[in-house]
Formats: sequence, C-alpha cells, structure tokens
Amino acid sequence: MQPMNVLLFGSIAEKAGTSTTDVQADSLSALRGQLEQRIADLSEMSYAIAVDRRIVREDMPLTGQEEIAVLPPFAGG
Amino acid sequence: MSTTKPHKVKDIFVDGPIDPATIGTSIAKHATRTDIGAHEIFLGQVRADALDGATVRAIEYTAYREMALERMTAIREEAFARWPQLTCLHVHHSLGVVKAGELCFMVFASAPHRIAAREAVAWLVDRIKAELPIFGKEVLSDSRHVWKRNA
Repeated sequence: MQPMNVLLFGSIAEKAGTSTTDVQADSLSALRGQLEQRIADLSEMSYAIAVDRRIVREDMPLTGQEEIAVLPPFAGG
Repeated sequence: MSTTKPHKVKDIFVDGPIDPATIGTSIAKHATRTDIGAHEIFLGQVRADALDGATVRAIEYTAYREMALERMTAIREEAFARWPQLTCLHVHHSLGVVKAGELCFMVFASAPHRIAAREAVAWLVDRIKAELPIFGKEVLSDSRHVWKRNA
C-alpha cells in the first residue's frame, strides 16, 4: 500500500507546521489515529476529514488512492 | 443536471478584497437581460471585532479550493432547482488578506421578481458559510492571530 499524501488546512496546517503529511492507513479510523499521534493537540481540536472531497464521519476502508484532507471549522463569508 | 441551464464548475475565488466597483460593473452587465426585474445582493465585509483586548485588523483566507468549487457547483444547481425562476447567480469569495472594512464575499442573484432572488440569496449565504471549506485567520492589531470559525 502506498502512503497517502494527506492535505492539511488552516489551524491544523499551522499546528503541524506543514500543509501535507504522508500517512499509511487502511481505514479512516487508522488514519485518524495516526494523525492524532503526529499532530500535537489535534485530538482536542474540532476537525472533519474529507475523502475525495466529501466529508465522511463514519469509518471506511481506504485503498490508498483517495484524496484525503483534514479540515478545521469553516470560516467563509 | 438541468438541461436548460448547464452549470460548469466556475471559479468563485478572487485574490484579496472584492473591489466595490466590480459590483456596479456586474449590475451594468445585466442591462441587456430585460427579463430581469430584481437583483438581490449580499456583501460580506470584514469587521474589526474586538478580541482579547486587541482588534481584528484583517482576515487571511485560505481554502481547499477543489472541494470548495465542487460544493459550490452542487449548491448552485440546488439553488436553480429550488428557484427555477432565477435568471442568474454570481458568487465571489476572497482568498488571501482582506483588511477590516473591505469586502470578502458577494452573492448576487437576479430574477424576474424579487421573492425568488431574495430567498435564494439568503439561502445561498447560509449554505456557503456552512459547507465551503474556507478558512480564516483573523490577524489582530497586536500581530497575534485567531482562527475564525462560523457559528
């Protein structure tokens, strides 16, 4: 399985000190766990994960081909 | 997908503030559409909120551009489905730094009659604020910053 290039935005990119990070995970919950280990305070932050540009709340299997993004609260307008 | 009004993915983002002059130009461009009887416009302006003993000087916007444009296309199609009378719809949102007092957001709808245009704009503003992955860093007068979040 290829590591996935996860996109980070806003306050989460700031915390991580980068706008992308490589993660290898076969499910969304595994990915979440790895991100929360890697990015300080992420588990305390409010965020959503988008898989192929759609927010996914439940767990799901990942093939490694998906476009994953970690999104802090929206602030448009 | 509607067969009468194809909606391709349009870019809504502009670099920096929205120039108030573009609103006048935009209205003037609709003069040839004489089936229009009403324009409704929402303009969002950056507010100098007081935060922690400092004042918001500017908001620096970033976005997950691809997802934002996909969501916007879907919301736009839903708006035309809900208010088939809409003649046209224009949305602009800033990216980058917008200072307090400058415009960051515009939703502009036109229709033969006012109700559709008015309802559509109010609905669109709420949907866009809730669903587009746009992020805002409020830069304070003492150069600290706070990440904005919509209620």
